[in-house]
Amino acid sequence: MNLIEANAEAGTLRIYLIGHIDSTNAQQVEQEINEARNAHPECTKMVIDASKLEYISSAGLRVILRLRKVYADLKLVNVSAEVYEIFDMTGFTEMMTVEKAYRVISTEGCEVIGQGANGKVYRIDRDTIVKVYMNPDSLPDIQRERELARHAFVLGIPTAIPYDVVRVGEGYGSVFELLNATSFAKWLAKKPEDLDEIVKESVELLKKIHSTVVKPGEVPDMKKTALKWVTFVKDYLSPEKGEKLVSMVEAVPVDYHMMHGDYHIKNVMLQDGEALLIDMDTLCHGYPVFEFASIFNAYQGFSCADHTNIERFLGITYEQGAEIWNKTLKYYFDDKSDEEIAAIGDRAKLIGYARILRRAYRRPDEENNEVIAFCKKEIENLLERIDSLTWD
Amino acid sequence: MEIELKKDGTHLTAVMHGRIDTSTSTDAERILIPAIEGIDDLVLDFADIEYISSAGLRVLLLVFKQMSAQGKMKIINVNEVVREVLDITGFIDIMNVE
Repeated sequence: MNLIEANAEAGTLRIYLIGHIDSTNAQQVEQEINEARNAHPECTKMVIDASKLEYISSAGLRVILRLRKVYADLKLVNVSAEVYEIFDMTGFTEMMTVEKAYRVISTEGCEVIGQGANGKVYRIDRDTIVKVYMNPDSLPDIQRERELARHAFVLGIPTAIPYDVVRVGEGYGSVFELLNATSFAKWLAKKPEDLDEIVKESVELLKKIHSTVVKPGEVPDMKKTALKWVTFVKDYLSPEKGEKLVSMVEAVPVDYHMMHGDYHIKNVMLQDGEALLIDMDTLCHGYPVFEFASIFNAYQGFSCADHTNIERFLGITYEQGAEIWNKTLKYYFDDKSDEEIAAIGDRAKLIGYARILRRAYRRPDEENNEVIAFCKKEIENLLERIDSLTWD
Repeated sequence: MEIELKKDGTHLTAVMHGRIDTSTSTDAERILIPAIEGIDDLVLDFADIEYISSAGLRVLLLVFKQMSAQGKMKIINVNEVVREVLDITGFIDIMNVE
């Protein structure tokens, strides 16, 4: 009887370990693995799948150690909680990648409480929801977003607890704490007269985010992303102005204050009078001009050629968007004069339009010609009067 | 949610009961923040805590930040469910949990 199963795909040999592996059969396991390796000499990588492994003794661990000498990035996946403990106690988890098996849950009969482009959100019990992603390749994205949410959470940013990653059918899900909350977008739709209060609340949370310091490498640097935008856009502007734009972004100091990266009324929730942040996948750090650029785009920039975009995206009118944008600056910079605030707004617009221009060039279609013409003109004008992206 | 406070000079033990969730976290904050004034050794006894939500964890973080400035703090008698939450949120790495 075979003690292992093996299959080869795209240069990776996947070995399934089965049942109990101890001193009575470790040698045979190793022999079978070597036979699989000889049968697939084209494979340069190995993954050990432990989904069918119930127990492994030191003799089995030594087989893995020997394989690791051959495959430097050997990975163990689908490890049960019991077997994970063995790898943990013996220090294997520090030496190589050991991934736990995901809990399997069913959403049958669960209430659907939300639906987005990537999947559905179900309530699974009193305190938790699961966000199920339809794309089976979404695992790295899910893990990335959870890691970012975790950093933010420990730093005191009010958000939902990201629990575990689970398997749901063929896909993956991310389990979160259930918030008993309403988005600011829904609040505004219900009570348009509360706009002022909504902006004040969201500015307060924005300031809290911006006063949080992250460690280098914890979240992406927004300046690097903005540099990509302007470097792309440079070639479509006059040489002198293109250079000016790039060198202004380069001159922005590295700043380790946290930013959300996609801050608008759909990503802020109200729960018992407290504002909470959701959707952490854009979390980053940098000088606030970049945050204001994305805020400008959400409320104005993305709708520059077609004013109805914002209605589809945020459920508000272009005029409401303009009011939110202007008040956001006014309340955030409440110690600055109107002229200073307008100058900060212009700097944010410049970066915002550069981002939109790049996007429009990369997705050529009829409607984008108008966007391109508009953004180019705005950028050229703004570059006439802006010499720096920072402020005091 | 209930909190019993046992104070001995600058030492304080807070024995917590029930669920610290959205509806009770403000109470927890209202009781704990004044209680830790002048305390340099805080023990939070979680033996009877069934559940803690993000709102509860933020209160814990507030208390932790204040205690880091004025003394030490530990959380004791944490059950499996709550330990799991402290673990996945990374709280276990920054706080003293027994």
